Amino acid sequence: MTVPAPDRQWRDAWRFLAFTALVGFQAMAALLAMVVCVAMIVTLPLLPHVIRFVRGLAARERDRVGRYLATAIPPPPPGTSGSVAEVATSLHDRRDAQWLALQGTLGLLAGSVAIGSPAGLAQNLFIALFWPFLPGATSTVDTPVDSWAGAGVAALVGLAYGLLGVFLVPPLARWWARASAARLAPPRRSLTERLAEVTATRAAALEAHGTELRRIERNLHDGTQNRLVAVVMHLGMVERALSRDPAAALPMVASAQKAATDALAELREVVRAIYPPVLVDRGLTGAVASLAGHCAIPCAVEEHPVPRMPAAVEAAAYFVVAEALTNAVKHSGADRITVSLREEGGALVVEVTDDGRGGADQEHGSGLAGIRGRVAAFDGSTRIVSPPGGPTVVRVDIPAGP
Amino acid sequence: MRIVIAEDDALLREGLTHLLRAEGMEVTSAVDNPDDLLAALAADLPDIAVVDVRMPPTFRDEGLRAAVQARKQWPGLAVLVLSAHVEESYATELLADGAGAVGYLLKERVGKVADFLDALERVAAGGTAMDPEVVGQLLVRRRSDDPLQRLTPREREVLGLMAEGHSNATIGSTLVISDGAVHKHIGNIFTKLGLPTTDAGHRRVLAVLAYLKA
Repeated sequence: MTVPAPDRQWRDAWRFLAFTALVGFQAMAALLAMVVCVAMIVTLPLLPHVIRFVRGLAARERDRVGRYLATAIPPPPPGTSGSVAEVATSLHDRRDAQWLALQGTLGLLAGSVAIGSPAGLAQNLFIALFWPFLPGATSTVDTPVDSWAGAGVAALVGLAYGLLGVFLVPPLARWWARASAARLAPPRRSLTERLAEVTATRAAALEAHGTELRRIERNLHDGTQNRLVAVVMHLGMVERALSRDPAAALPMVASAQKAATDALAELREVVRAIYPPVLVDRGLTGAVASLAGHCAIPCAVEEHPVPRMPAAVEAAAYFVVAEALTNAVKHSGADRITVSLREEGGALVVEVTDDGRGGADQEHGSGLAGIRGRVAAFDGSTRIVSPPGGPTVVRVDIPAGP
Repeated sequence: MRIVIAEDDALLREGLTHLLRAEGMEVTSAVDNPDDLLAALAADLPDIAVVDVRMPPTFRDEGLRAAVQARKQWPGLAVLVLSAHVEESYATELLADGAGAVGYLLKERVGKVADFLDALERVAAGGTAMDPEVVGQLLVRRRSDDPLQRLTPREREVLGLMAEGHSNATIGSTLVISDGAVHKHIGNIFTKLGLPTTDAGHRRVLAVLAYLKA
């Protein structure tokens, strides 16, 4: 490990702390906005916007503090919405709120040292040098500067500001970086909870995988194989008929051909269910555009650049969109559907919104349960918001990798 | 008819060559990758190219891309694309240049030799051959206010066959109805869907497909 030169260390610390003041201002503004949103009941619907801003701020701080401390600060798991009820019960949002309160107060104070020290130094030195042109000038600690002696005092005051900065900024920056990191990182005890969750979803994933294998086996065994047996059987009959009564062979050839065509149609279905060919050809965006094109309700795809994800993740996302569209067509009575694909913090986010009647049955709808199961197998999260009267939003977050 | 075949599976390539030669067609070359296809077309332009969608090197949609590129290079070149699965959006890409002489069929349609040869001739003559499955994907159940709901079952059948690229005569013989009846059905369909009456042929297919995609 290389230790940077002391002057570089100081400059980094100073820059870090000065930015902290800036973030502190934003945090204070956000705090005020939150208080106003809650206090005036009518502005409550604006709260999610403020929350989104706070999350963005926290995410950027995680990055910045992480860079300063040269360690990555893990982000909270994705998947919670900005709805008021969810925010109030979300552990991560409560931690973010604690961080926000600290950042808006202590952070702002600590940051002001970084800005105040050079500013005080500059101002006092300026006054000490140019007092003859500044009648009635005083130093920043209110000593009159109307003689060279007064100017000397002002210069000393400036020097004191400078020394304060030199000695205070590095330890203050370190202390504040550690304090923020502790607040911004997910709580330690949640790792045990996460392990339990991962173990549960892993079991569910294995179960789902087993069910899937059995389904594929059944389709191939009972469907395609039987059709091919029929083909072979009919060809055998053709062989016999050709030597006895060639005219009788023709209908058998037709039967063999029909059985083979059925087998092919079934195979296409099985292949589509395992891994849709269009996904191989065109990637997730192309495949989803194709799904949207088939949809009986006008469906727009919001494309954001999404990198290629692991095949299993793309397939899961594809089936989620397919299932959500089928559901919307069957139950929503919507006029428009929007599908949005994007990447957020290493997770693939799929959002299907329809302007239908809402009130989706999350307990009994097998389609929605299917989506949940598929997504849970990847340790992802599913959120379905469907108030009576709509709109219905199905959002899933699928982590793309380790 | 002079034909170039591009299919990477040796068994299918040989089989298709054999089938077409047995029917008195001239297979000028049979290749197994998109580069060789474009080279073969450049060396000796055939009446029609029969192209598989998945080919080396990545086994995605090279064949389709090669077909689209070939039609840019030789406008009006007849191309019949074969695939193990059909995707309505691929059909759109093939039809995008509006030049006609395009076919897009499931590979297994080759088994019905007479129908396959009919499609081949239709495309070589500047017409269209869309797989019934592509048309089926376009005819999915739509919302209640869709004008398609106002069509009678017979009219939907006629619409489907029109979209596949069949002529009035073929539609009549397929559904076992008279030419006059076909004419009447088509008139009704265009009125109900609010489409301007278009002459028979490729333009009509494009109008119908465009309507179904909208």
